[in-house]
Amino acid sequence: MKAFFQRIPRTVLVIALLAVFGLVRGPVEDGLRERLVGANLLFPPPASGALEQMRQSALMGTLGGLRTLVASYFTLVTFEYFSTKSWDDLRGGYEIITALEPRDETHWVSVVWHLGINATANMEVDERLPAFERDRRFKEYAFEAIAFAERGIEQLPESAAIRVQLAEVYREKLKDDCAVSRVYGDIIGLPGAPAYARRFHGYFMARCPGKEKEAYAYLMALYREGEKQHLPTLIKEIKNLEEKLGIPGPQRIPDADPDRPRKTPKRPPNLLPGEILIPFNQRELQLLRR
Amino acid sequence: MNFTDQASSSTNGLPPRRVPLFSPGRVATIASGTVTQLVRMKTFYFLLAFAVVVVAVGDLNLPATPAQELSTIKKVSFGTMDLFAWLFAIVATALLIPRDQEDRTLYTILSKPVRRIEYLLGKLVGVLVVVAVSLVTMYLICALMLGARERLFVEAEREAMSADTRFSPDEIEAQLDLIRVQGLRPELGIAVLASFLKAAVVAVVTIFLSTFASSSLFSIIISILVFLVGHFHAMASSFWLHQSDNSMLVQMLVKVVKILIPDYSLFSFSEGIVLGEPVIYALVWQMALLTLAYLVVFLLLSLLVFVDKEF
Repeated sequence: MKAFFQRIPRTVLVIALLAVFGLVRGPVEDGLRERLVGANLLFPPPASGALEQMRQSALMGTLGGLRTLVASYFTLVTFEYFSTKSWDDLRGGYEIITALEPRDETHWVSVVWHLGINATANMEVDERLPAFERDRRFKEYAFEAIAFAERGIEQLPESAAIRVQLAEVYREKLKDDCAVSRVYGDIIGLPGAPAYARRFHGYFMARCPGKEKEAYAYLMALYREGEKQHLPTLIKEIKNLEEKLGIPGPQRIPDADPDRPRKTPKRPPNLLPGEILIPFNQRELQLLRR
Repeated sequence: MNFTDQASSSTNGLPPRRVPLFSPGRVATIASGTVTQLVRMKTFYFLLAFAVVVVAVGDLNLPATPAQELSTIKKVSFGTMDLFAWLFAIVATALLIPRDQEDRTLYTILSKPVRRIEYLLGKLVGVLVVVAVSLVTMYLICALMLGARERLFVEAEREAMSADTRFSPDEIEAQLDLIRVQGLRPELGIAVLASFLKAAVVAVVTIFLSTFASSSLFSIIISILVFLVGHFHAMASSFWLHQSDNSMLVQMLVKVVKILIPDYSLFSFSEGIVLGEPVIYALVWQMALLTLAYLVVFLLLSLLVFVDKEF
């Protein structure tokens, strides 16, 4: 046996052992990869579309196992694009970043914030562009932010932060109350969901045409939960809906309208701001002298 | 150069002393010599570069939330740690055997009753000790920066939120937890271990390559190429197959590469831990066992090449 092994050239033996080890470890590594990706400890390879989009440096970094470093580098670069208001470059940068680190929630939140809030705000005020072009780009950036948010939600279905940022785009920029209500509705129950998500879902539903009845039932249910839910906006929205839906007086909530001007004690006409008293009669003159 | 199980007969007429087949003591001696050799090469100077990177990133003051800033510090620090670890493993390992040959130290060592496996294992252990010490030092530098920034951010956020009456204590704690999850956590130690496991596999593969390499430069270049391909093939195979409509030739090529080249991308599981994902310890154990298998097999392969090598 020993003589037999000694007769085999070393190179053949090395290649054979390497091949056997490769064949044995292949299925083991495939299983491990699947479990590591399932546990979110390992990122799945970027999709072929993303690989095509990547610039040479990003691609090389990815291939060389430097994904996090390359993604961090591009994050810094996009901050530069943000400060110079190069929105198209910023979008391109985030295409790469999100392809490299699709499981990092902060990248998705940042790109939705940059495109949906900052880029659109810039289009509202950028006087260098004609009004038509600004309006066109405003919509383009807002819809791109929404598209990014949807891709982010696909990657991280449990993310409340991406949805909160998406709701901001609908609320601040597109003034789409129905969409805001829908997004806040999706946030309810997610891990890390803000406590106000339930209220906001109702507030914006109340402003969504055709949803008034549903909104009234929802907000009344919140109101019945107790004193801690009796917040001024909730009361205001219920009062508005009571008016819109013609709810009979006895069924209306007893709280005062928070926006109704409150009665202020009548100020004497001779008391000037700064508590300066102009004496009108003898008694006031004596008071002043004292 | 051949060795028998016995040391050469002594000249004073005493019976020849039996040499044990394997001696951990001899491995330890070679390992400690390797550590000294690497320390004398001033290899630890790169820790200074690492400290500069960490301090620079910690001082960037990006227009980002505290959690995002901590996440950036962590990602850059651990990415740099990983890069230094595998690069160091390649360069240090590739330098050792050719340098021993050039200095003629190798002949002195092998003329003693030292088995070649002990020599290879000693060299590997020496490199791994230096990599481990470097990683721990880098982790301590990073932990210092991360811990200090986290404390600063948590205090500032608590102060700002406490001043605002709209926030309940629960909401304040929830906000602070967002920062803490990106801060210094014990799980980050496992991310360091992941980088170490990757560096260990890289080192043993480089030892194997340097056993038949003619120079250090050749070993370094080939090892870096193997490392790149090892990272690349898992990702590229699906891309190639997609591009070539699953052609038979590409499938075969992918299979051959997969069999011959280690899959280094699997060892990048520190990325998820750094992002704050919970660690599954069973998987970490399995990765450690896989690393051990790589070490055993590639040491054996190195021995097969090295054992008959004439100097």
